Amino acid sequence: MSRALLEVSNLVSAYGKIEALKGVSLAVEQGKITCLLGPNGAGKTTLMFSTAGILRPKAGSIRFAGEEIAGRAPHAIVEKGIALVPENRLVFPHMSVLENLQAGAYQRPDRDAIEGDIEKLFARFPRLKERGAQEAGTLSGGEQQMLSVARALMSRPKLLLMDEPSLGLAPLVVEEIFRIVTDLHRDGTTIFLVEQNAHMALRVAHHFYLMEQGKVTFSGDPGSIAEDEVIRRAYLGTAKA
Amino acid sequence: MIADLVQNTLDGLALGSTYALLAVGFTLIFGVLRRVNLSYGPAIMAGCYAATWTHVHFGAGLIVLALIAIAGAVLAGAYVERLCFAPHRSTGAGPCAGSPVAAMVASFALWMQFEEAATLVLPRHLYAFPPLYSGGPLTVGPFFLRVEALVTLAAAIAICLLLGWLLWRTRFGLAVRAVIESPRAAELAGINVPSVFVRVFALASAIGGLAGYLVVASHGQITPMLGMWSTLKGMLAMMLGGLGSLPGAVLGGLVLGLIEAHSQWYLGPQTRDLIAYLLLFVLLALRPAGLWPARAQG
Repeated sequence: MSRALLEVSNLVSAYGKIEALKGVSLAVEQGKITCLLGPNGAGKTTLMFSTAGILRPKAGSIRFAGEEIAGRAPHAIVEKGIALVPENRLVFPHMSVLENLQAGAYQRPDRDAIEGDIEKLFARFPRLKERGAQEAGTLSGGEQQMLSVARALMSRPKLLLMDEPSLGLAPLVVEEIFRIVTDLHRDGTTIFLVEQNAHMALRVAHHFYLMEQGKVTFSGDPGSIAEDEVIRRAYLGTAKA
Repeated sequence: MIADLVQNTLDGLALGSTYALLAVGFTLIFGVLRRVNLSYGPAIMAGCYAATWTHVHFGAGLIVLALIAIAGAVLAGAYVERLCFAPHRSTGAGPCAGSPVAAMVASFALWMQFEEAATLVLPRHLYAFPPLYSGGPLTVGPFFLRVEALVTLAAAIAICLLLGWLLWRTRFGLAVRAVIESPRAAELAGINVPSVFVRVFALASAIGGLAGYLVVASHGQITPMLGMWSTLKGMLAMMLGGLGSLPGAVLGGLVLGLIEAHSQWYLGPQTRDLIAYLLLFVLLALRPAGLWPARAQG
């Protein structure tokens, strides 16, 4: 049995009185790509926000490497080793590509190793290197997504959360993003991925969860259930046929 | 004729440099917190009143009074931050995201509190403040250069250079600029955003405290109106330059000083503020983003 790096149990999160997560339990195993599927409004982003500390959960627990992190501040959670690549990328548009990466390493004490990490990321993302001095807001959508991933990696996370990385990108760029996801996994990063693009997600994931209306309604390995059934539920959110 | 123009321009730049400092502090708070702090001027007034109180009761040197004004403004600013802005932060999702209007109204309440406190501690409307320089102006050819104006200008230039270095050359500056661009992205990058808020508030209050000190020490007097005056001039200069833009704040302050100096000379002192507000109105109608706009926020 492999051990869970992230363990969410009975998590309840709400926006005011509206509960977006109604007792979610799931686990992300060390060294694996875990994928969270589900229709719009299922609570996927809310789970990401709660894990990253942006939204304080009302009840339940989030354990990371055995330590309770629910309700911690976002910067403290980054320090623990979780980085979120947010939906819609959120690069710093008027800062250079290089400064975006430096910001990602903001709380690292090993100032000397940061330069080396930037070089490594530039080798992984050559187009970011070409645009190093350029303002991030002038990059294409795909390049901004890569910058957002690279910025998250600058904190040397043990767990990378990715919220809809393929959103709004052209099919070729989506292919590239998923290639990056598998590359990162091969290099030892544990990945927890939220996707609308269930087809692509099921190709890379080792394990997946299906979320509908604030609850996990199904979990399994790709192949354990007919793909079209998963996709139908991921998009349409029909709980029972 | 030309001599008048040059003389007024010199006076306007000196006046404008205090406006520039006030606007820079205002803009830092606005840029980072996305909140209007109406108590910005009153906190400065509180700092200057602390200096005045020290002067009235004990007497102290110029430097000591300046330090008291700055420290007092920072303390008063911290009080404003705790009461008005910490509960209404722009970060967080859903119910954790605070209300900008509530923060602004709360800062108005503290404005009144500061004014009342000032008149309780020092009940006369006007107090003398030790002047920066008691000698006459220097004469350079046909022009008069007031020493206090030169000191103010030099201090403003030094502060702007220092701030530029701080924001664009240091790790703290990187965090501040990141928060200005996107507080959400900044916290996800591991930046302690609330701590940046507090430190920027302290920095802006210190700059404001120095500006306030330079104003009262140049005039040689202080009234509780200093609070309203600082908020208005800072806000006016900030809007002239462009909301949230630091170079714009400096430019807006200088332009406001020039407008005031020239309109006072050519049209009479009673038209000074009238012309300034009229020009602000025309500018906002024609160019709502200001003279040196901040680039769109992400």
